Amino acid sequence: MDTLFKIISVALITCVACMVVKPVRADFAVLLSIVGGIIIILYMLSYFADIFKIFDSIFHFSGVNSSIYSVVLKIIGVGYLTEFASSVCSDTGNSSLADKVLLGGKIVILVMSLPIVTSILDIVMQLLPK
Amino acid sequence: MDVDIIFKIAAIGILTAVVSQILKNSGKDDISTLATLAGVVIVLFMVVGMIGELFTNIRTIFSF
Repeated sequence: MDTLFKIISVALITCVACMVVKPVRADFAVLLSIVGGIIIILYMLSYFADIFKIFDSIFHFSGVNSSIYSVVLKIIGVGYLTEFASSVCSDTGNSSLADKVLLGGKIVILVMSLPIVTSILDIVMQLLPK
Repeated sequence: MDVDIIFKIAAIGILTAVVSQILKNSGKDDISTLATLAGVVIVLFMVVGMIGELFTNIRTIFSF
């Protein structure tokens, strides 16, 4: 709850600072919004660490291969990073660049998840009667 | 990691705008451009440092 108030206050302060700076220097407003977004994400990162600790114990309990778990974590990280970068790009008016960043994130996620698909195929091939 | 970097960047922006306006009005257009460029570079250094911090944090948490 404390973090929520921190996040809200940082967001409002960033908005006001952007509104103040934008008429004088429009390029600084973009940098301000980037910094505000980074501060908000850094506030949330400690929560991510807690969540992933619990996920780790659940995965350990279920006996799933730990390489799959790390791939899932990486995919979540790629998703958050590409979302951040693409929203910064679209804020500055380069919506086509934002689309390209999203496309790159999707392709990276696809390449990361291909080993899981091949392992599923391996399991299916073993189950099939010769 | 604090909020004061936001105020710092906003203050640098307003300050560079004022300085460049004063220099431009006193006829030193080239120096005013250089002052603007210096302000942008200073803020860019701050922002790049923060982006690097974000990337290292995400790299450690998501175990890249």
